Amino acid sequence: MDDQVDVVVVGGGSTGCGVIRDLARRGLDAVLVEKGNLTHGTTGRMHGLLHSGGRYAVSDQKSARECIEENRVLRDIAAHCVEETGGMFVKRPEDSEEYFQEKLEGCRACDIPAEVIDGEEARRREPYLARDVEKAIVVPDGAVDPFRLCVANAADAREHGARVETHAAVTDVLVEDDEVVGVEIEHDTGPGKRVHREPGTTEEIRARYVVNATGAWAGQIGEMAGVDVEVRPSKGVMTVMNTRQVDTVINRCRPKGDADIVVPHETACILGTTDEEVDDPEDYPEEEWEVDLMIETLSELVPALKDARTLRSFWGVRPLYEPPGTGTDDPTDITRDYFLLDHAERDDLPGMTSIVGGKLTTYRMMAESITDHVCEKLDHDADCDTADAPLPGSEDFSVLRDYMEEFGIRSPIGRRSAQRLGSRTDDVLGGTDPNPVVCECEGVTRAEVRNGIEEAGSDLNAVRLRTRASMGNCQGGFCTHRIASELAAEYPGPVVRDAEDELYQERWKGQRHALWGRQLSQAMLNHLLHATTMNRDGDPATTDADVDFGAFDAGPAGSGESAGDGSSSDDSGSDDSPAGVTATDGGLDATGSPDATDGGIDGDR
Amino acid sequence: MTRHTGSDDETDGIDGSNRDGRTNGDDRCGCGSSPQPNVPEIGRDERPAIFVPDDGEEAGTAAESSAADGRTGSPAADAPRTATDGGVESATGGSDSTELDPDAYDPIDVFPEGDLDLRDGADSCYKCTSCDTSCPVAEVDDEFPGPKFQGPEQWRLKRKDDHDIDESITSCSNCMRCDDACPSSVPLSQMHNEARGQFVEEQMEKLSLEYVRNRILANYRTSARLASVVPRLSSFAMNFGPARWAMDKVLGIPKEREFPEFATTTFREWWRDRGGAQVENPDKRVAYFHGCYSNYNTPEVGKAMVRVYEHFGYEVMVPPQKCSGTPMFANGMLKDARRHAETNVENLIEAIGDGADVIASCTSCSMSLRQEYPELFDIHGIEDVSDHTFEALEYLRIHEDLNDELAEARPEDDRSFAYHAPCHARNQGLARQAVETFRDVDGVEMEDVGDSCSGISGTYGWKSEKYEKSMQIGEEMFGHMEDAEGEVGMTECPTCAMQMEHGTGYEIEHPLQLLEETLVA
Repeated sequence: MDDQVDVVVVGGGSTGCGVIRDLARRGLDAVLVEKGNLTHGTTGRMHGLLHSGGRYAVSDQKSARECIEENRVLRDIAAHCVEETGGMFVKRPEDSEEYFQEKLEGCRACDIPAEVIDGEEARRREPYLARDVEKAIVVPDGAVDPFRLCVANAADAREHGARVETHAAVTDVLVEDDEVVGVEIEHDTGPGKRVHREPGTTEEIRARYVVNATGAWAGQIGEMAGVDVEVRPSKGVMTVMNTRQVDTVINRCRPKGDADIVVPHETACILGTTDEEVDDPEDYPEEEWEVDLMIETLSELVPALKDARTLRSFWGVRPLYEPPGTGTDDPTDITRDYFLLDHAERDDLPGMTSIVGGKLTTYRMMAESITDHVCEKLDHDADCDTADAPLPGSEDFSVLRDYMEEFGIRSPIGRRSAQRLGSRTDDVLGGTDPNPVVCECEGVTRAEVRNGIEEAGSDLNAVRLRTRASMGNCQGGFCTHRIASELAAEYPGPVVRDAEDELYQERWKGQRHALWGRQLSQAMLNHLLHATTMNRDGDPATTDADVDFGAFDAGPAGSGESAGDGSSSDDSGSDDSPAGVTATDGGLDATGSPDATDGGIDGDR
Repeated sequence: MTRHTGSDDETDGIDGSNRDGRTNGDDRCGCGSSPQPNVPEIGRDERPAIFVPDDGEEAGTAAESSAADGRTGSPAADAPRTATDGGVESATGGSDSTELDPDAYDPIDVFPEGDLDLRDGADSCYKCTSCDTSCPVAEVDDEFPGPKFQGPEQWRLKRKDDHDIDESITSCSNCMRCDDACPSSVPLSQMHNEARGQFVEEQMEKLSLEYVRNRILANYRTSARLASVVPRLSSFAMNFGPARWAMDKVLGIPKEREFPEFATTTFREWWRDRGGAQVENPDKRVAYFHGCYSNYNTPEVGKAMVRVYEHFGYEVMVPPQKCSGTPMFANGMLKDARRHAETNVENLIEAIGDGADVIASCTSCSMSLRQEYPELFDIHGIEDVSDHTFEALEYLRIHEDLNDELAEARPEDDRSFAYHAPCHARNQGLARQAVETFRDVDGVEMEDVGDSCSGISGTYGWKSEKYEKSMQIGEEMFGHMEDAEGEVGMTECPTCAMQMEHGTGYEIEHPLQLLEETLVA
């Protein structure tokens, strides 16, 4: 039992990342396994609201109190993931005055600072608000970047000795003698960093305890262990606008309903959402009416949304849970509270607990309570310090510095970098010179991309989540190749190409739901640029076709005839010429030495 | 009296309709959309305009009071005209209703402090980089990130409380070529003007020599007015060696450049001495916006304008006026520009009320009145000024049969010119007008020297730190001028003319001067 660890945490969302951090800081030997990237499931598919609790102040005051408490904690420990935007619950003429008062009283009852302002003042603060907004309750909502938050939690866990395996799907839960003793996982490309084209392996991880933090997927893990977990996944759409029409979180002040929130998030605004129960968290319809509903309904609050550019839409599934026998029909009525399901008590299956329900804002509190629970099970005595210890990136940091002077980058770029990197700014931006901007839309420099690659291997989507590169208005059209080229120094050509394709395709997915107007123009331009200028729809490097480069480029005048065979200028390379020809890209090297083919494109040969 | 609309109750409703009008406005160069003969575009400001001619038209149709109506007395003047404000019916009570339409948003005007919000423009950008590749400064200045960054990218990266502007905005020369290059109508120069204005207002050290120098350059009219009191002395003193050395060292005004000479008699003095207009014609009136340069430095251009227009039977008015604002925009001095604009709009709107269209002989002045004014300021009547402004040659080509007139004409001596189209003319669709006007005229050889920028871009080339780059940009044009047969340069823009002269030693003329020579003399 040498290789037995204390705890395996399944699921790399906010809960799992919070749990692994807490376990590691309490000195337990823990492993996190996640089948995709961190935040792959629900966490990466939310609108990024840091709740003040106001949304639950009427319907669910317990959640509301937890929210405001954790809201304050996160502003402190995760400052670089949080933007303190503030929020408003705005009332339109047709919205109930009674509910407005209830909301206000609810906020006060839950210790949520709340201030009422009139419509004019609301519009002074947010000029795009509809003119007939009557008044608003101001609350301390904020915006939180779930990617950065999870990555920071995982990084801190690593620093404290934990192991984090992404792209490692659980294929079985090991049950021996009616007890859970570990999990079997399948590494996409071997353990450690993900690198395209490396062979997959399976691994058994034996553990004294297993935490099932897979949210909407908890039922599937439960099934592997032979227990029922009745999660009721409920889908919701989120639509990303190209710019920030508002700099404050705008909530509609009415009981419940679809399309009632606009969250300013980084450079964009995210509109949300719907609430509809689905059977399978991975297979549900993404419907156009949902997107239309977002724009139409929220235009009542912010009329400018109607004509504004939409970048993409995505759907997430909430891991809603209700104890058996509650029998709620409407998913919007299901509580947002979280539940610990100790399978020893519940199903006579010791060794595993599932955590379901909950929300990102309270992820740390959930993690704390499940870690307490695990410690008790393992008879491990240690205090939780996650509410006070800042996450990596949020340690003693002030963004009020002149990064342009220091690192030779333009002020908006430096400012954005510092907002993303927090206290890591010096480390990350310091070492790379020259440091050009790689992603222009989001202002991401080479240094940041390289830092992401160091952490994430050839997985450019993981780099994207860390840096926001390719998340702006061109949706990768102008930068996926630049990002991928940063891989070329370390990885062979085919790996780089696969990584590039994967990122570029991922960017298309969300754009499917935004293909009209200006984003359609963008998509057309992107497509033509990649298909024609970059020849990516018929790239000989990927089609294995023989290419007669001489037919394209006969080389400099005078050497024209002999250039085609690639051997004229270098005798020693003449017998390599067929290989040289297939390996060079775009014929650039046709007249040069075959040995000098560029950048490791054929390095795997 | 200036006419602010800032605190006016009606502003909001009006702004709402203006938003739609913008699309119309894009074509106001008069080249894109074919202007209906004798029916100039009607102002998009739907309120009963203050310049309503008191000729019995009922108030309800006042919005349609195209001031130029009376110009030809053509039947079109009485014909009912549809509103050209992008489909917002003037039937909404002539827009004197104060009711707020909650959907009526002009996304650029929503901020109460007067800052423009141009995020909508950032929505229009799809990163194609046409603007960057057309930018003459980016071509020679590796440190300059280009118009795409300065405009849509920077606007998108802004947040409410952190919106400091990158100082590279001060390297933009405001040639506005990016506007012309953009296939997606991103209001690039508007974004740049706004960013530059904010940078200068909020981030530039007001006691710095750079600020002082830029302020002096931007307020050329002030210097020129003083200099013109003693023109000969000024011309001498400004180009006096030691003085120039000191200006270079202290203020950063390159000693290589020669200050333009000041005319011994300004255009306005000449106009006064001549007794004003020699032709009276209530049906054909133009208000001449001569700008500073034609007044103080090249009154011969202004005189040519008057003689040519009088030749065609126009009554020329010369309303009081100040700087068009072009050099102020380029230096981020928006407050100065607004002050001057208030005077200009007030006087020009009055002339428009008297039935005149506004004519400029400087393509940057016409550019400013047409495009930058309505984009940056909300002075009442500014849209009407914009709609009624034309470049001098452009206007004649629209309203007179110049080809016919020139068919039999020829200058006294054969003339050959190397013609350079200013960037600002290019943006108004006027890049070919001089060549097209004169190509069939006997005895005139007009050669276009290509589409490069001259490099001076108003005050850009007048800054020591930009001088080398300015000359680098101009190199292509200089070369083409040398290659052209003509030994005299021609252009509509006074600062392009300076640069052409500086780079080649040629004498430079304005097309109006050639027109005068060919038709009037």
